[in-house]
Amino acid sequence: MTAQRTAPRQPPGGVNLLVWLVGAAAAFLLLFFVITLILRRIPDPIGPRADLFVQGARMTLQLTLVSGLIGLVIGILVGIARTSAVWLVRAPAGLFVWLVRGTPLLVQILFVYNALPPLLQSVGIRLELNEFWSAVIALALNVGAYNAEVIRAGILAIPRGQGEAARSLGLSGGQTMNTIILPQALRIVVPPLVNNLVALLKDSSLASSIALLELTLAGSRVSSETFLPIPVLTTVACVYLALTTVMTLFTDQLEKRVKIATR
Amino acid sequence: MKKALLTLTALTLLASAAQARTWDEIKKSGTVRIATEGAFPPFNLLKGNQLTGFEVDLANALAKGMGLKVQWVTQPFDNLLIGLNQDRYDFVIASHGITPERARAVDFSNPHYCTGGSIVSRVGGPKTAADLKGKTVAVQVGTTYLQNVQKVPGVGSVKTFPKDTDAQAALLAGRTDAWVGDKFTGLDLVKAQKGKLVQGDLLFNERIGMAVKKGNSSLLRELNAALTKAQQDGTYAKISNQYFGQDIRCR
Repeated sequence: MTAQRTAPRQPPGGVNLLVWLVGAAAAFLLLFFVITLILRRIPDPIGPRADLFVQGARMTLQLTLVSGLIGLVIGILVGIARTSAVWLVRAPAGLFVWLVRGTPLLVQILFVYNALPPLLQSVGIRLELNEFWSAVIALALNVGAYNAEVIRAGILAIPRGQGEAARSLGLSGGQTMNTIILPQALRIVVPPLVNNLVALLKDSSLASSIALLELTLAGSRVSSETFLPIPVLTTVACVYLALTTVMTLFTDQLEKRVKIATR
Repeated sequence: MKKALLTLTALTLLASAAQARTWDEIKKSGTVRIATEGAFPPFNLLKGNQLTGFEVDLANALAKGMGLKVQWVTQPFDNLLIGLNQDRYDFVIASHGITPERARAVDFSNPHYCTGGSIVSRVGGPKTAADLKGKTVAVQVGTTYLQNVQKVPGVGSVKTFPKDTDAQAALLAGRTDAWVGDKFTGLDLVKAQKGKLVQGDLLFNERIGMAVKKGNSSLLRELNAALTKAQQDGTYAKISNQYFGQDIRCR
């Protein structure tokens, strides 16, 4: 930005991150504009139905961002709980990761959509889950479990001596975690978290099985109407690629910004 | 940009490379490969591993009349006609309504029954096309019901499910106001869900046919001949009565 070149790099400030967020939002808006323009110029079967593809792509991105954010919060909470010294905190977190990682995402999505509402109703909770929120719950829990393991690895990567030094200086356990361990761990885990986010964007295609009109279902609607799977699937794949490419461009920037000169 | 368009066009042309099996080739091999969906009661339904239903019994009877053994293939509905054009099987019998769009992609036999798309809703729900104004409707992806529901003026949102049974489940769970599907399937559904659902009006009528790959005229001719023979010698009427208590051929 405007910092003197000789000064050591500042850790990311609020303004810095805000600029990054606005940039990412603008880039995606531009991307959708460009995708619309390009798709409209492709001949039948794509051109006349370009809006359907764009609508699907928008839903895919919404799904990814909402469940990615919730999944990040879940991941941090569960990841910290997994490293706790108290068995009562560790066990439920371990159980959650075991359950979610050990079952297929498609089954989880179908379970939340078809089985969760009647199950909740039988215990007296009336919950109306539409397609979007069913998919968000399943995807957020799923990516949350994977994020938790990443966060745990990040915490364990910080040398024990740091925690011990902080404790011997009189910091409490919580303070040590918040001011010494997590700030360092979160920098380590940015690349694997980005990995999970990109995987999440692609996994969101499984939400097509519960009639949520995202990119994959938009494609299968067109291909079952025109019987032309090749151009349709090629288009769908290209749009996914465009989405993940723009996403990784910005997460690479984020990585650069949170990086601090290592020892 | 131009290059990308060229590549796409080239890829599209590659789609139709292989050759369909002609009647002589099928006759020589002694086995006909038939595809259906297996999730469309009472026409074709998988009970465990057992394929049953009106169309399954009919196709088995037709194959017997042609002196052939049958190898069944089940596929998701929206893949059936695509797989047919890739020669994964010889013909498809899966309640495909005969539409101009489909007739451009495949060749249809004479209709093996006539039906219509009806509205089914929970008691007190929409019953006519006018009632669908602003309502959400569940249909199966890739069907004529989807196209016809989208033509209804003022209809709310249309949700598409991979299987018809999924769309019906969505109606039962209260996720949509109505389901639009085959009238006989609807009758069965209302019967099975004693008192929970009611059947409304017919949205449209359609003729249902079997599909062979575009240009496979020798197989089409034999299929039509076998169907006519079955409809004349009482085989068709017997199977139809067993499932519907009536003869559902086109009149």
